[in-house]
Amino acid sequence: MTSRSVLLEAKQLGKQFKTGSGTLDLFVDLNLTIRAGETIAIIGKSGAGKSTLLSLLAGLDTATTGTVEFEGNALESLSDAERAKLRADKISFIFQSFHLLPELTAQDNVALPLEIRQQPDAESTATKWLNNVGLGDRTDHYPSQLSGGEQQRVAIARAFAGNPSLLFADEPTGNLDETTGQQIVEQLFSLNEQQGTTLILITHDLELAKRCQRRIQLSNGAIEELS
Amino acid sequence: MSSAIPRIARRQLWVQLRTIEWRVLILAALLAVTLTSFLSIISDRLESGLLRESASVLGADLVVRSSRPISEDRTEMAEELGLITTQVIQFPTMVGAGDNLILSSAKVISTPYPLRGEVITDPPMATAVPEPGTAWAEARIIDQLGLSIGDTLQFGYADLVLTAVLKQSPDRGSGFNTLNPHLLVNQQDLKKSAVLGPGSRAEFRLLISGENDPLKTFEARLKPTLEAHERILSLINDQPVTGNALANGLSYVRLSSLTTLLLASLTILLALRRFGNAQQSRSALFLSMGLTPNALVKLYFWQLGIAASVIAAIGGTAGALLASLADLWLSGLLPQALPNAQWSSYLVGPALGYAMLLLLGMPPALEQANVPVAQLLRSDQTNTTQKASWGLYLISLVLLSTVLLLFLAAPAAAAVLLVMLGISGVLFGWLAQLILNSLGRFLANRLALGRLLIMRLRQQRKWHRLQAGVMVLLLMLLSVIWVARSDLVKEWQAQFPEDVPNYFLINIQEWQKPGVDQFLADREIDTELYPMIRGRLVDLNDAPIRPQLNEEQLKDNSLRRELNLTWRKQPPVHNQIIQGEWWAPDSNEHQISIERDMLEDLGLKLGDKLGFDVGGQPVSGVITSVREVKWESFQPNFYVIFSPAALQSYPGTWITSFKLPEDRKSQANELLREFPSLTLIDIDQLMKQLAGWLERLAESSAFVLIMTLATGLILVTITLLQALEQRKTEVALLQTLGARATETKHLDLLEFGLLGLVCGSLAVFSAEITLAAMNQFLLKIPLAVHWELWLTLPILASVAFIGIASLLRAPLKIEQCYAILKSNG
Repeated sequence: MTSRSVLLEAKQLGKQFKTGSGTLDLFVDLNLTIRAGETIAIIGKSGAGKSTLLSLLAGLDTATTGTVEFEGNALESLSDAERAKLRADKISFIFQSFHLLPELTAQDNVALPLEIRQQPDAESTATKWLNNVGLGDRTDHYPSQLSGGEQQRVAIARAFAGNPSLLFADEPTGNLDETTGQQIVEQLFSLNEQQGTTLILITHDLELAKRCQRRIQLSNGAIEELS
Repeated sequence: MSSAIPRIARRQLWVQLRTIEWRVLILAALLAVTLTSFLSIISDRLESGLLRESASVLGADLVVRSSRPISEDRTEMAEELGLITTQVIQFPTMVGAGDNLILSSAKVISTPYPLRGEVITDPPMATAVPEPGTAWAEARIIDQLGLSIGDTLQFGYADLVLTAVLKQSPDRGSGFNTLNPHLLVNQQDLKKSAVLGPGSRAEFRLLISGENDPLKTFEARLKPTLEAHERILSLINDQPVTGNALANGLSYVRLSSLTTLLLASLTILLALRRFGNAQQSRSALFLSMGLTPNALVKLYFWQLGIAASVIAAIGGTAGALLASLADLWLSGLLPQALPNAQWSSYLVGPALGYAMLLLLGMPPALEQANVPVAQLLRSDQTNTTQKASWGLYLISLVLLSTVLLLFLAAPAAAAVLLVMLGISGVLFGWLAQLILNSLGRFLANRLALGRLLIMRLRQQRKWHRLQAGVMVLLLMLLSVIWVARSDLVKEWQAQFPEDVPNYFLINIQEWQKPGVDQFLADREIDTELYPMIRGRLVDLNDAPIRPQLNEEQLKDNSLRRELNLTWRKQPPVHNQIIQGEWWAPDSNEHQISIERDMLEDLGLKLGDKLGFDVGGQPVSGVITSVREVKWESFQPNFYVIFSPAALQSYPGTWITSFKLPEDRKSQANELLREFPSLTLIDIDQLMKQLAGWLERLAESSAFVLIMTLATGLILVTITLLQALEQRKTEVALLQTLGARATETKHLDLLEFGLLGLVCGSLAVFSAEITLAAMNQFLLKIPLAVHWELWLTLPILASVAFIGIASLLRAPLKIEQCYAILKSNG
């Protein structure tokens, strides 16, 4: 695994919040190296700062101290447009509450990020990915016509369609029942393996975390790599 | 992405049309665009048809207008410069056929005519001037007199053959001349008709046309020698006629539409804010997919642009349709068909629609660029850009106000109105909140929900101030327009006593007076003839008056035109002397009795000496008495009455008024048959015409009122919706803590009911003050309390608030309460 190149590296990362009585350090001096193709679970109690860490790693938020480097480039030194381009080309997200656009069909929802980066074969790629997640016969359906599990599968297709090098998944099964959640997890990991994508997964589900190659626990402002 | 943005914007809009904010936004914007389109098209048509003095309307490049015959040297000067000239005399006169009579505006012309524009007749005629012995009349004359082409009509002492219907003609003249139906007569027939004697009221015009340079030279040479009774009208100083009743009416309707526009803007603003807030997670999603902030803003502007285009197209068409319906609505009141509107006036409404949506949409659209993507990960991440965007809102509101003021065409008046509305809104909001608090304290121990109500009132005080400020203003304006359109016309008509004269007889020449006296005496028509001599006030205490007056006094109407002067031995019975004493019947001194308002407005006093220019000769007298004149008595009334010694020797005409009951009206026709050159003004007819205009004005206000009411209701809906959403968390908390769903519902409805009651009461109170001020200062009619408003408006407002709130309010189940508290925690 060490032969793989470093994709994402957090160096001495710190995040501070202002509160009424002063400042609160969510975490201090946090270091994390993630190599291409790894699957990593970030686990921790509610309020431990999992989502904040994910925002920082994805360049959606800026750290109070330290840097996050993606493929050797510090994210905080990039302009808004450069960060937007990075997201369009290399980073995808899967959210707990799916976030599909209700006015678009399943196919259009998957094609949307491809259209944003002006990919000419957006439509056929979207169809291919819907087939991959087993929704080939539902391409013309609107989100309201799909079950929760199906909606999350559309979201997974959308996330992979852009062929990202880094995929963030934020509690992807949080809004689903156990059986459906299980199916979604299977699909997510199998596609991830096929594509060789680096996956950073946020969860408080230890069983789910065990599916990842690395597990990182966030508590009291520090991270601990679990074996 | 460039091609994808419009597509996404279109789809996004289509889905969002189902949301309440887009529905209210579209309704409000449609109303605003329809109203502005209608008003801009119809005002353009009325202005270019009746008010604007453009080349084809002037009938020349330059016109010298005078209340006295144009002196020869004016014509000579123009002709020396190589300009073409022609003279026109226009005056009100009776035209008769058989037993029928109509007051018309006769235009006496000679070739060449007109110098610009064209006269259109049916059947078309070879020349633009009727042959001697013939006349062309507008349709209203022909209809009223029951004439056909080839029939004879009576014009003073001359019989003229009607040879064509006058369809359209330039050079319509000013004032009443523009509204009375026109009769075109050859100059050679004027003498035979004997309708125009010395002192007759007429407008003399010298029409001039030619090359630009000599025209400018002529104007430059003429200006320094211009007499007080002369005025130059030219395209160079082209200006719409102001002070005209029609123009005033139009600007009144436009100003009253300001309320609708403000309400619509406020509704759109609130709707777009709601929309903007609801879009945040969608925007975060787009950003997470790599859409740049700029492209995101572009996407929202596309969406606003598409919506604005649809609104502009529908609203613009609706406005244009309404404006074409106005032809039917104004028919019978206008002497000729209105010209088509300029194409630019069709664009005003749609342009305003774009301005409203894009300017008010600018802050929420720009805010989207700053939406944190991380909010998709954490529900507690709220937008931190709210505060910063107040600057954006301020900019967009200032820009929009500018656009509205430009549309209203009277920026100063509209700006004053805008500021007054703003100040009153703040004041009413503050007052309403004060009253609500007192009511709350009063109810605290008397109602089961009293304590909660007090908490609620304290918590929502900012919202109450805003809501009440807007609602009180809206309800007040609606009440004022409502009362004004029905009551004021009635009250205005009611002030005229039943037995006032219904005929004015003017232009009685000296030589006709004995005959007219005899005619009236034979038929026992009780009346008295007054001499009428026209003169201009020029001196005060033997020095020119103008330098002795302040700016306000110089604007007084009595200085701007020739006054009708008279002389008498006895004071008129319907006037009351309130200062000084009337002269002895055989007094040889030159004395003046003056009307009170004129004395006060010009700052004059007893003992002042006034000098007049009567047909070029000076006449003066000392003020020895002041009279109170009842103008609504329909008697011949005069600002200035001279003692006989001062004015008796000057040539003038005579005037009188008398009452003829319905069954003796044929005697008016007899009188005119005997004295065809007299002008008989049928006051009943005139009042009918005036009432017609007032009615149309009332109808246009009613139209604006309906639009305002509709916009107001939309605004109430969106603000109540917002208010209910704000209360959702509190209601959820109360229900989680053990309150029943019905109790929380009652609390909401009690709050809205009280708010409606307070707004309604404050609105009636301020409407009464406004109406009282209008009655006192504008209409000078007795004050009246409008009990029906006091009884209905507070209750109606309260019921409307409760009604709309119960329709919009969805009861919360206990599971929902928990979910709401969790999501907001």
